[in-house]
Amino acid sequence: MSTARRAARTAGVVVALAAALTGGAIVLGGGAGAGRPPAVAGPAVPTVLPRDGDLDRGVAALRAHLRAQPKDFVSWATLGTAHVEQARTRGDPALYDAADRAIDRSLKLRPGNDAALAGRAAVAAARHDFHGALRHASAALAENPYNERALASRIDALVELGQYDAAARAADTADARRPGVPVFTRYAYVRELRGDVTTARRVLERALAGATAPGDVAYVSTALGQLAWRQGDYATALRRCGAALRADAAYLPALECRARARAARGDTAAAIADLRDVVARQPLPGPVLALGELYEARGERRRAREQYRLVDAWVALARAHGVDADLDTALAAADHGDGAAALRAARAEWARRRTVHTADALAWALHVNGHDEEALRYAHRATATGFDEATFLYHRGIIEHATGHTTAAERSLRAALRKNPGFSPLGAPAAREALREMGGGS
Amino acid sequence: MTAIARTGTGWRGLAALVCGALAAGGLTAAGVSALGPGAAEASSHREAPLISGQPQYDNTDVYAFVSPDKPDTTTLVANWIPFEEPAGGPNFYLYPEDARYDIHVDSDGDAQGDLIYRWTFDTKVKNKDTFLYNTDQVTSLDDPDLNITQTYDIDLLKLDDQKIVSTKKIADDLPVAPSNVGRASMPDYKKLRDQAVRQVSGGGTSYVGQADDPFFLDLRVFDLLYGGNLSEVGRDTLKGYNVNTVALQVPSADLRRSAKQPTVGIWSTTQRKNAQGDWTQVSRLGNPLVNEVVVPLRDKDRFNASSPWKDADFLTYVQRPELARLLEKIYGIKAADEPRKDLVSVFLTGVKGLNQPPGVRPAEALRLNTSVKPSADPKRLGVLDGDNAGFPNGRRLTDDVVDIELQAVAGELVGNKNDLGDAVNANDQAFGGTFPYLALPTAGSRGPLAGKGGQDGKDSASGSSARDALVGGSFERATPADGTDDAVLIGSAAAGAAGVLLVGLGLLWWRRRGRAT
Repeated sequence: MSTARRAARTAGVVVALAAALTGGAIVLGGGAGAGRPPAVAGPAVPTVLPRDGDLDRGVAALRAHLRAQPKDFVSWATLGTAHVEQARTRGDPALYDAADRAIDRSLKLRPGNDAALAGRAAVAAARHDFHGALRHASAALAENPYNERALASRIDALVELGQYDAAARAADTADARRPGVPVFTRYAYVRELRGDVTTARRVLERALAGATAPGDVAYVSTALGQLAWRQGDYATALRRCGAALRADAAYLPALECRARARAARGDTAAAIADLRDVVARQPLPGPVLALGELYEARGERRRAREQYRLVDAWVALARAHGVDADLDTALAAADHGDGAAALRAARAEWARRRTVHTADALAWALHVNGHDEEALRYAHRATATGFDEATFLYHRGIIEHATGHTTAAERSLRAALRKNPGFSPLGAPAAREALREMGGGS
Repeated sequence: MTAIARTGTGWRGLAALVCGALAAGGLTAAGVSALGPGAAEASSHREAPLISGQPQYDNTDVYAFVSPDKPDTTTLVANWIPFEEPAGGPNFYLYPEDARYDIHVDSDGDAQGDLIYRWTFDTKVKNKDTFLYNTDQVTSLDDPDLNITQTYDIDLLKLDDQKIVSTKKIADDLPVAPSNVGRASMPDYKKLRDQAVRQVSGGGTSYVGQADDPFFLDLRVFDLLYGGNLSEVGRDTLKGYNVNTVALQVPSADLRRSAKQPTVGIWSTTQRKNAQGDWTQVSRLGNPLVNEVVVPLRDKDRFNASSPWKDADFLTYVQRPELARLLEKIYGIKAADEPRKDLVSVFLTGVKGLNQPPGVRPAEALRLNTSVKPSADPKRLGVLDGDNAGFPNGRRLTDDVVDIELQAVAGELVGNKNDLGDAVNANDQAFGGTFPYLALPTAGSRGPLAGKGGQDGKDSASGSSARDALVGGSFERATPADGTDDAVLIGSAAAGAAGVLLVGLGLLWWRRRGRAT
């Protein structure tokens, strides 16, 4: 397999590059003499800060403060949490180590303090250690039942472990104790996963009404855009993502959301331009695959393959950094690569956490490998909570078709296309084609 | 780094693409995306914000004092949104529509409110197609160029045994004074303030709008809490920042049981509507700094959510204050014997013979004896300096509560004479002699038409285009005239995202909300 070998070689190059570029690129620790004092004392001329430069500056100020007052355990915990937030907005996992160190300092100064325990939970979740996140969040809440970030991380962990009933209860509790953007966004997602789109939208709108920070406005607007996109309401999706980009022009999820809405409306060129922009800055599997599929839908096979190989490279990189990427592997490989690897990865992920997403990935990987009967069980599980995801319905329909359940297949495929007719540049036409085969037309 | 990435988009080939992306910090653990063919966009691991700046629910201070120019009335003042930068556009500082700002009055000392004054707000945007706060010079409150206007109601709730027995609207759709955008936009802010001072039914007077933050302190005083000392204090780190205020002057007879029992307990709470549609209390505040200095980290949030009725839960923190032990360690001022009955008087019951109601139930509230005449010569140290019209008998704008509380904790009332303080003894701006007494807000520096790039001074020269002014991302941060330091930056909600984020993080745990993290 020359392709595989080339991909492997590319990945090797990339890992080396990554080490060169990220290793030591960030000076951390802030011990005495590590770095100059941050330039926060007011120069008369204000500077235009890049996106989240303010957060960076806040972090710099915190570090300077901690050099002067190294016993301030709350600020150490705060610094750790701020690093997690930076990692989220920047996509830089090196910051997780920095977060760990700051939180360690905090706990050394004041063992068991809830601020640091909540920070631990946030870092664990970011690293996909959801059992650990749940444990740390619970420890923080035992200390302080009102800790906002522990309440939020607890919901995250339960969602990612597929414990949706417990997640809903945790969301209700969090909402009763600490209403606000962090809890509202999670509350809405938990409701959406259970099929309650109306509540999800209402709660996100409430979050947006109270949001003042550009980052919050961008996040919540994008969540509303994604919700609208999943319902096939592309005009609203574009409006919401536009609002997100006005709040923060560099917010990549908003750009990706806009790209998908444009693609769904048939504006492929604009969608490709957006996704290229996203991928150039952060080659995450989601947008990379989306871009590859847009190329493929336009018949640009070579460019598409390049994107699919980039996913392989990303996965290799992620593994090199200790991030579990089995789900990405499964999803990318099932459609565009090595089916056996897809199944291995999907089974591994399913063993770790049983969510609608991992069920869908396993169902599809089984189908790709010809295990349709077994796949059907998981396809049912993926669609059992009422979560409105057209892709899951499409996968289910194709698997039902493969197992001879023609009526069910027609129902699933129609539901997918009714829900979100432009859910995928390759999947939507494939769904219509399957319906035609079954004599239904669309 | 991003510059590399930007040039990188012009490169050819996969490695270059990855390399450029990496240079931009592209490798992340966040990107677990679920898609089969195409792109279900559902990321299976959503990373939502952990830190959120929501300063409009963040109550900074409460004041209650017998009105100096009208001694038969009492003035209540409560402030929200700490660290408002004068140049905080383009959206400036709005009162939240999904919140209730409440001031509670306990007129019999049983730790239960007998009256609640409740402020609620309403926002109107004239032209929804622009983000601008104002489209041209604003010379009156009803100027059509004021694009975003707010109004408020005040409801007076009477309670009996925690049940509402009557509700009366004493203010209906009164105008809120806008944020002071700048001299070019608002050449005469005082006129706007005066127009916003209104009579309410029942003989009271009200003001809602922006004001200079009356609180004065050097934030570095809190270094005491983790082993620092007071050697570097003396600068008012709140100088030049504004707050959103609600101020109400009412006949003292409305607040108290009778002239024979003239002492009332006062505290504020903030409620916001949660996802389930219920009102949730997210903040509580009576005496300044109690939640910051007295209540330990793990209980700060619980304190905010609780009611004074249950303050026995926190009694031991007042009786055995950690701060006193820290002061002993740093300054050798021997901590007074515990339990500290003197501090229980200051913070929970009122001082016997001055502002302690008979049969008082200990609770964290400002206790104001409304029969004590206002002082012709107010002393910043209030009762500690023999001026019984000041803190802890109520709280006046000029009371130096940081010094008073430090000295009290160090044992001033039980014979440990000391002169601890943060060396900031007065607000940088003078207070007025008539209602609402607060100093006018520091003017912003935005030109009349931010949307046309009309900016001056601090706000320009930064390459910020008119579009920046329109997109809600006020990236530039005006620097207060005397420069900014870390303490302020760390606390500055108005420093844009970071300040807001860090306040959201609770870095301001040392002030009001006492949110620990």
